Amino acid sequence: VQKKITARLKRTLPVRGPQAPTLSELMRWYCLNTNTHGCRRIVVSRGRLRRLLWILLTLSAVGLILWQCAELLMNYYSASVSVTVQFQNLPFPAVTICNINPYKYSAMKEYLSELDKETKKALETFYGFSEGKSKVRRSVDDWNSTGSDFFQQIPLLKVEDFSRTATDLRSGQKRRIEGSVFHKDSSIVNSADSNDIIGFQLCDANNSSECALYTFSSGVNAIQEWYKLHYMNIMAQIPLETKEKLSYSADDLILTCFFDGLSCDKRHFTRFHHPLHGNCYTFNSGENGTILSTSTGGSEYGLHVVLYIDEADYNPFLVTSTGAKIIVHDQNEYPFIEDIGTEIETAAATSIGMHFTRSRKLSKPYSDCTETGADIPVGNLYNKSYSLQICLHSCFQKAMVDSCGCAQYAQPLPAGAEYCNYKKNPNWMYCYYRLHEKFVKEQLGCQQICKDACSFKEWALTTSIAQWPSTVSEDWMLRVLSWDKGQKLNKKLNKTDLANLMVFYKDLNERFISENPANTLVILLSNFGGQLGLWMSCSVVCVIEIVEVFFIDSLSIVLRRQWQKAKKWWSQRQRGGAGKAPQAGDVERQGHDNPVCIDEDLPTFTTALRLPLPQDSPLPRTPPPNYSTLRLETAFTEQLPDTLELGQH
Amino acid sequence: MNLKKYLVRALHRLQKGPGYTYKELLVWYCDNTNTHGPKRIIKEGPKKKLIWFFLTLLFASLVFWQWGILINTYLSYNVTSSLSIGFKTMKFPAVTVCNANPFKYSEVKPLLKELDRLIEAALERILQPGNSSDDVSPPLDLELWNQIPLVLIDEHDKDNPIILDIFETNHTAVGSETAMGNRTGASNGTMDNETTAPPAPDLPSLCPQCSHQGSDNCTYRNFSSAAQAVTEWYILQSTSILSKVPLHDRIRMGYQAEDMILACLYGAEPCNYKNFTQIYHPDHGNCYIFNWGMDEEALNSSNPGAEFGLKLILDISQQDYIPYLSSAAGARLMLHQQKSFPFLKDQGIYAMAGTETSIGVLVDELERMGYPYSDCTMNGSDVPVRNLYSQYNTSYSIQACLRSCFQNHMVEICGCGHYMFPLPEGVNYCNNEDYPGWAYCYSSLRSSIKQRQICIDSCKETCNDTQYKMTISMADWPSEASEDWIFHILSYERDMSTNVTLDRNGIIKLNIYFQEYNYRTISESAATTIVWLLSSLGGQFGFWMGGSVLCLIEFGEIIIDSLWITVINVISWCKGL
Repeated sequence: VQKKITARLKRTLPVRGPQAPTLSELMRWYCLNTNTHGCRRIVVSRGRLRRLLWILLTLSAVGLILWQCAELLMNYYSASVSVTVQFQNLPFPAVTICNINPYKYSAMKEYLSELDKETKKALETFYGFSEGKSKVRRSVDDWNSTGSDFFQQIPLLKVEDFSRTATDLRSGQKRRIEGSVFHKDSSIVNSADSNDIIGFQLCDANNSSECALYTFSSGVNAIQEWYKLHYMNIMAQIPLETKEKLSYSADDLILTCFFDGLSCDKRHFTRFHHPLHGNCYTFNSGENGTILSTSTGGSEYGLHVVLYIDEADYNPFLVTSTGAKIIVHDQNEYPFIEDIGTEIETAAATSIGMHFTRSRKLSKPYSDCTETGADIPVGNLYNKSYSLQICLHSCFQKAMVDSCGCAQYAQPLPAGAEYCNYKKNPNWMYCYYRLHEKFVKEQLGCQQICKDACSFKEWALTTSIAQWPSTVSEDWMLRVLSWDKGQKLNKKLNKTDLANLMVFYKDLNERFISENPANTLVILLSNFGGQLGLWMSCSVVCVIEIVEVFFIDSLSIVLRRQWQKAKKWWSQRQRGGAGKAPQAGDVERQGHDNPVCIDEDLPTFTTALRLPLPQDSPLPRTPPPNYSTLRLETAFTEQLPDTLELGQH
Repeated sequence: MNLKKYLVRALHRLQKGPGYTYKELLVWYCDNTNTHGPKRIIKEGPKKKLIWFFLTLLFASLVFWQWGILINTYLSYNVTSSLSIGFKTMKFPAVTVCNANPFKYSEVKPLLKELDRLIEAALERILQPGNSSDDVSPPLDLELWNQIPLVLIDEHDKDNPIILDIFETNHTAVGSETAMGNRTGASNGTMDNETTAPPAPDLPSLCPQCSHQGSDNCTYRNFSSAAQAVTEWYILQSTSILSKVPLHDRIRMGYQAEDMILACLYGAEPCNYKNFTQIYHPDHGNCYIFNWGMDEEALNSSNPGAEFGLKLILDISQQDYIPYLSSAAGARLMLHQQKSFPFLKDQGIYAMAGTETSIGVLVDELERMGYPYSDCTMNGSDVPVRNLYSQYNTSYSIQACLRSCFQNHMVEICGCGHYMFPLPEGVNYCNNEDYPGWAYCYSSLRSSIKQRQICIDSCKETCNDTQYKMTISMADWPSEASEDWIFHILSYERDMSTNVTLDRNGIIKLNIYFQEYNYRTISESAATTIVWLLSSLGGQFGFWMGGSVLCLIEFGEIIIDSLWITVINVISWCKGL
């Protein structure tokens, strides 16, 4: 009984499947039973040439699939761009307005009088210019008595030529230039004009032999730059509250204000102190939590302000142009007014039409941008949302504090640092110029560290100018505006002290440019499926099959072979005699291959339906028609023993 | 015969029973289906069978899940955009030029005489409150004044603002802030009485005010600046006066083409004022449109650069401006598409007198797909707002829709149309005599957020959005050296006189031309089409199970068969009862 049961078990167990004893048999079994096309052809084909052809075709199909899928994978992280236009209530941007002149010159007198006196002297010596016609050129000795150390700190020099000698302005002495010469205006030295070059020398205070001479092709630039250095020194020592008082108040700057058809006043403006532009005023800064919006485009519904620009109170050396500067920005953005401001002319109506565009890029891995700036190793010194500009400025400031020990005046202070001035940091200017040089040449690495922001808002401005006030309305306009300005100003305003500004939406269409992933995982898989199906009619199931057959089963067969060999060798050694050779598995048929089940007329599904079997048949019921029965295997077996070598005894 | 045979056979089959079971059917299906997986289930040994069963189940559910995602993606109607940039021969944009000032002062002076005297006297009183000399020879027309008076509001005392009518000496002390305009229960009960003024600042002087019929129903419109108050007041009053003037008179009072357009050159071809189409624009009076394309074909430009563009010399004669109406002087111009109405207040730019303004143009087009990809309209026919600008024979635009929407509301609520917008049939423009409350009605409607939102919601943007990006630059013109002869020639050509009748304050040169790259077109195409959907569905099914549509049909067949078995079984069971 035991034997019988084991025999039956053996019979029912498939022998041709993965348990096939040899690799070639496994391969044959795989090829005949796999779902992929091609492989089957290899086994079924007659003739060597045809078989070879099929092998080549199958292999090339596999190659194609691999290539195309690799291509699909490589293109996976591509983005498609979509542009949507939405017509809606648009939030009005923040509009920051500054006077070009940062501080009232009259109020700054006590801080700047010394510097101005020195500047005038310099102008007189170099160019023979003096403000009053009656003024006689003063002698050199006279200056020494003033006891100023502006020229000691940074001597203004007139470079004679490139024989490396320069005339010191203060002492009139000629000195040799040591160290390097930097030309601020151009990197190419035009030696023909070298006689007129003017510049200043910055020395390393710790090591006085280390000096750099900065030269300019025009005295205008040289004097302004030189003035600015000293000016920053002076301003760095004045506390913020005092500076705010020295600058213009909202009442000073904004004469009338009108927004969206309604009157507005200074309470709608937020003060913002800019180191180089003094007090600036931001309209709609969103500070009190509400952001104004417009629901109608057009010049009547925007911001309309008349600015008072007190031209008489301008600093003659620091700024040389008159007017205001404005910048349109988002409430969360820092207004980089010195970098990207728009200048507003006086005695004119400037109309600025805006068109709003919002853009969004995909961050990693699609492109190298940053969502919030949190992943950038540079701390944000500005109290605003991240932008590339903020990062670059912060990066420079950080480098400045690290290498010079103090902070540059034009940028916010990092924690624990203070602004440079030459009382405390006599060396800072030299250091600053060196650092700036490096920054511009991208040697500080800031440009590499800082990434652009992924989303940004842009207001495209169309600026146009009209004459204002018109000749016929000038009279009453100026009178009424003078009255608006208040009683304290009794004189009539001059039209060159006024600027009219209109900022409005041209249309309320918001353009939103966004990147979307061109591929999702679903689409990638679909594309894989398409490729696999096209070339080989393959699916994941086939892949599993391949893994199963080629890795697990073949490995197990090889291992089993080795094990049997080893066992055989062992037993031979043990017994010294030959054991029984392993029996090639009797190809027992089971299921549909069981001869008992095979009807002579091979019932199909429909015949099965038509001919119900007798109930009391001793035979098993007719199984549903078999896929393999359609193979006409028996017909081929006799004719082509070379293609079908089923192990039959 | 056949049918009978078939029926007999069917009956026989019913009597005999199905002849095979569910299990056999299933096994047969698994063995013969073209989807991969099921075959494995029956072909493998018992342990693997289980694995394959679960694998097949997993893959089938994966396929269905991903199909859901794909169909969802398809139904979201995404679009992809493609950008093209370059130069091609394009239609030169229509160019509208207007004067910033709508009418010649010399022509409208008789109409505005009273108003001007009134405002001069008022300004006198505001500026010099002390010496109010009442010896004005002809008495002022205070009827005009009383309709909308200018007042000073003294808010030193927050709770009791003192309202001072400029032409009255007695100070009216208003009881409380709420009384300021909230005297409800007026004869005209339809009005909403909101205090439209923002919280007034502590400035001493605030101004005018729209009153309504008597003084029962008032709101004060506050201004922080007298200049603005006076301008707004003047605009309201002059609007009311001018709205009574018939259109042809208004056109006559405006600037004529031959006076305004002194020289014109398009490419190498000369053109003159006759090439311009006249249009009456309520804000700017007579406007002239070049290349509007209404009667003749639009002009093409096939070369970039100023040499091939439009060159204009305009005279805005600044001496003839209405002093209180427009304080900015210059030409207003706008580039727009052919057959569209120029909305100068929105998209227009200024050109300054005494300068040459060069405008390089880049046509920025956005071509969008209509419904269901985006909610835009092709020609405005599906927008529920009556387009009043269709009387100009112009195409739909969002600006036209918003203005029409406003005007329709205005007509509905105030009973008359606003002067700045076209009129629907059978309605008149508002003026102070016939519609005394219109100014109040208008300003409350204008500041009503609700009304604006209704209009924004009902108007749709057009699918093809064309913008003209302008690069504007300016230079002084004419130069001092050439000034004399240029003025001389232009004066001679216009007036046939040897005297110079022009000056720097009135003359404007304009160059409008295409830039080196004159178009930037963003066009949309559907990201997902039905072909895309089918191939993706096929890809998914093929990827996980190696299936196709035929496999689905096979599956359906099996379901029908099993139903058949059930039917036969049920019948035989019934018979057995």
